[in-house]
Amino acid sequence: MRYIDPHIHCSSRTTDDYERMAEAGIVAVIEPAFWLGQPRTTAGAFHDYFSSLVGFERFRAGQFGIKHYCTIGLNAKEANNERLAEEVLDMLPLFLAKDNVVAVGEIGFDDMTAAEERALRVQLDLAKELELPVMIHTPHRNKKKGTYRSMDIIEEHGLAPHMVVIDHNNEETCKEVLDRGYWAAFTIYPKTKMGNQRMVDIVKQYGSDRIIVDSSADWGMSDPLAVTKTGNLMLSQGISEEDVQLTCYKNAISAYNQSGQFNETDWLNPQPIDESRLFEGNSVLRGQRPDPGAPQEDEIIS
Amino acid sequence: MLRSWLETAADDAALAWLDDRIAKVESGDESALYLGFGLAPRKVGKLPLELSSLQLDLAREARSGWNPSTWNIGQAARTLLLLAIPSDDPGPYFARLEKLFNAAELQESVALFQALPILPHPELLVDRAVDGLRTNVKFIFSAIAHNNPFPEEYFSEAAWNQMVLKALFIGAELDPMIGIDRRVNPTLAEMLIDYAHERRAAKRPIPVELWRMVGPFADETALEDMTAILADGTELEKQAIALALAASATDEADEILRTQPQLAAQIDQGKITWSGICAAAYAN
Repeated sequence: MRYIDPHIHCSSRTTDDYERMAEAGIVAVIEPAFWLGQPRTTAGAFHDYFSSLVGFERFRAGQFGIKHYCTIGLNAKEANNERLAEEVLDMLPLFLAKDNVVAVGEIGFDDMTAAEERALRVQLDLAKELELPVMIHTPHRNKKKGTYRSMDIIEEHGLAPHMVVIDHNNEETCKEVLDRGYWAAFTIYPKTKMGNQRMVDIVKQYGSDRIIVDSSADWGMSDPLAVTKTGNLMLSQGISEEDVQLTCYKNAISAYNQSGQFNETDWLNPQPIDESRLFEGNSVLRGQRPDPGAPQEDEIIS
Repeated sequence: MLRSWLETAADDAALAWLDDRIAKVESGDESALYLGFGLAPRKVGKLPLELSSLQLDLAREARSGWNPSTWNIGQAARTLLLLAIPSDDPGPYFARLEKLFNAAELQESVALFQALPILPHPELLVDRAVDGLRTNVKFIFSAIAHNNPFPEEYFSEAAWNQMVLKALFIGAELDPMIGIDRRVNPTLAEMLIDYAHERRAAKRPIPVELWRMVGPFADETALEDMTAILADGTELEKQAIALALAASATDEADEILRTQPQLAAQIDQGKITWSGICAAAYAN
């Protein structure tokens, strides 16, 4: 079974994670631009972060046989630094046309402020102009209201719902998101977002149409194998292989290949992992062969 | 010339898009440059150019040492956009290139570095090329170092020497470096002899191409190491040592080479060459 993790912050993860992901069958990942855990203070820091998403991080993932894509955007939290936000918004066209950029994102609301709304609107217009899909981050607090408000603004700007993935859904939001024609993504993240047993129940209730599973694994307590573990749990609880394929692999391709930049052929005919690309004493793998046999952890994420 | 290569490689709609972009870039439109540079492969094409030997000959005639044999369609389109940047005033021209370099993804970096030999104001781009070699990505290193006349023409001796030494460290070939024999120098030979000696002391293999730059300057330490390798090295190592000895003008080197009449004869007959040794070393 092949898997895609269409939302994972690889820059915060180790090479051990990449090895385990590749072993578990993850063939491609999408890394959305996000907040790094502390606020950036200069536009240059954003420039170099975007640059690494389209450059070195893509290369690093490739060393482990994983195709790396990203989304570029100004996240909601940092949109509140208005002086900085203007500079970052001006910088986006420099990065949005890169080869591995599959969407504008992750953008949306955090505190539901006017500054956040302005950044969201500017970036929706950019996505429309460049014909790129959009990845929407929905807030942890006041989630339902934030989710509905995001969709209202998207419709006001004339973006087609099939071009937009609404992420971090839960039992409260997903029906409305699906009814309005959007892709509904679910983040399997310990303690704060979605557990994978709950995810199985959602698929049992709503089916697999337009539903996408991701991990959002980042610098917090999170799990880069969340997608594969959820896929296995679905299979063990009687969900058909076809539905697992759709929610954990194919739907992400259908949604993000609307950019024309997320083609299955990229990883079905992959370059062999070229260890000779690595620099002795200065390499990603430090000259070591990846160590197989990662410990098996509990498969339940709650 | 580049534009004519695309005539056969891309369809009319793609060429129309490209020509429109080129006109905008020529008129000084910055955002058309940055977006166009990114979009070029998806708009014009991603397949290899597959230039004929005649086309490659013409390319070399147009610019000595220029070898676009590995180029693809999108890269050619990107290069045309670079050539469209107004360059009469070096200040703004350089600022635009800087912006492209600073935001470049992997394939864009390759296109930028492989365009160096045909861009205007090359002297402004030397530091950028030297800095590019500090990369951790081998194919970007190769875009600068291999089949590219720029380093030979513009690099200081120190920068050239670092490029050669780093190539050996990262397992990049030396034979495709244009000017590899013309730019030998005693400082480089000394660095390489030290490196070879260090590798021998650690019982680690020595890259066979290293001896190519050592030959003309082989000192006592080097000759000792070379003699030892002639005694216990692999067949390929022995060939490389013999070829390096043949390039040395000293009596000591001649004497050592005479102990290997078979190898000496093969060298005289042109059967052992650095290109052959490089190909064999990187054959796997």
